[in-house]
Amino acid sequence: MTAPLLQATGLSAGYGQAMVLRDVDIEVAPGQVAVVLGANGAGKTTLMRALAGLLPFSGELLVDGRAVRNSRPDKMVGHGVSLVPQGRGTMSALSVVDNLRAGAVSRRDKAVVEEDIERWFTTFPRLAERHAQPAGTLSGGEQQMLAIARALMSRPRLLLCDEISLGLAPRIVQELFETIAQINVEMGTALLLVEQNAALAMKIASYVYLLEVGEVVESGAARDFEQSESIRRVYLGY
Amino acid sequence: MDIFLTRLFAGMTAGSIYAMIALTLVIVFRSSATINFAQGEFALFTTYVSWWLTERGWNIWVTLIPAVVIGFVLCAAAERFLVRPVRRRDEAAVLIVGLALFTGLNGLSGTIWGSDDKVYPRLVPVSVDSFLEIAGARLFYDSLFVMGALVVVVGGLTLLMSRTNLGLQMRAVATNQESAGLCGIKVGRVFMISWGLAGAIGAVAAAILVPILPPGQLGLPGMFHMLIFGTVAAILGGLDSIKGAVVGGLSLGVGLAMINGYGSGLGGSISLTVALVVVVAVLGLRPSGLFGSKRLERV
Repeated sequence: MTAPLLQATGLSAGYGQAMVLRDVDIEVAPGQVAVVLGANGAGKTTLMRALAGLLPFSGELLVDGRAVRNSRPDKMVGHGVSLVPQGRGTMSALSVVDNLRAGAVSRRDKAVVEEDIERWFTTFPRLAERHAQPAGTLSGGEQQMLAIARALMSRPRLLLCDEISLGLAPRIVQELFETIAQINVEMGTALLLVEQNAALAMKIASYVYLLEVGEVVESGAARDFEQSESIRRVYLGY
Repeated sequence: MDIFLTRLFAGMTAGSIYAMIALTLVIVFRSSATINFAQGEFALFTTYVSWWLTERGWNIWVTLIPAVVIGFVLCAAAERFLVRPVRRRDEAAVLIVGLALFTGLNGLSGTIWGSDDKVYPRLVPVSVDSFLEIAGARLFYDSLFVMGALVVVVGGLTLLMSRTNLGLQMRAVATNQESAGLCGIKVGRVFMISWGLAGAIGAVAAAILVPILPPGQLGLPGMFHMLIFGTVAAILGGLDSIKGAVVGGLSLGVGLAMINGYGSGLGGSISLTVALVVVVAVLGLRPSGLFGSKRLERV
């Protein structure tokens, strides 16, 4: 078995006194697609924010076997971990192309950056059409495309996606999932998805974590969950 | 006509200076959403350094180099070592740090250089005939120089913002700090550089303004008025807009020159009254100013 790209052991995090995430163990292997499923308030976003360096945490976090402590988002990007945050987090006053350039500030190979921008414009032609527009004027689906492309501009080895389906039309969600699955296959980028849309996420994930009230209650290979009652239980509470 | 033009030129000269001070406040506000009330006192300190060096025989222009460097370093260090540790605990306490810096720097300048006023040389010497005559009004070369300095500062800033990687990072941080961090931008470093840049521009603005705006000498209370007018200009233009700082500064300068000129019966302190009215009007009618972005609730 390959060494995990990211390994969290006994991870706890929260906001002030309120501990949202308790003692969570999660592992993502290079190139793997894993999904964290859970109901509202289960701590999915908290988990993603802690992993991306936006929230302080206790417990152990290893990237490539090396411990990461008191992290900051820019450091996690440096480690090859990039987050598509919930609510997209595009920089609304910046143009589409500036959003993408900003996503690449950590890179040294400036010449290749423009090629990467072209690449994502090919993947998302609607972004190419609107490349000079402020990101704030884009539709929800376009902003989500931009958020994904922006996160990929740092050439991460692990892409964290926090509910990319939220608030979007089913057809666009379908497209986005096909795109990230393709990126995973073509570029070997590992994915850790957090989703309410379990059915769709299960289609591309090979490993599943079920999160319930801040704790991982069950985990295993995705195919073992297909007929499982646990997923329904996590979502519906019975 | 000539009297109107004379007032217009005087207003644009003062306005260019207000605009430069407003720019320093805007640069800081765009990054860290704080108004640095000590901005004027940083500039006062660097101007004292510049004066002290001229007393030792340095050319006034050469003294600008250490003044700008010290302005940059002092402001950047203040952000890194005073503002940032406090901000982590309490956003509102940052204002108190600003006030502490305000009195601290003023006191420090007084302790080192004494409280008596100094004669600070002009960057551009004036004589009785160093002016252009335009429709009967005199436009002195040093006024042209002040306006030119504003053009250079704004041009440089615009290029920095639109053409450089640092500028992109500064714009990203101004739009959305969290997303900027997720891009891999070192947000803290951008804060620090922004403060430093404001300190450097402040050093230049102060060296220009001290000999030409009342009282015409370098004294401890000298920057207080300037900071007030700079703040009003920044609020009028929109606290996070570079264009707004320029338009706000120039309109305030010209507006005050006209009111003082044509309303001579209104008394000597009318400028401050007008400034207060402008602030209240802007905050009441259009809180984001002329060109500021709409989301300024975080003030």
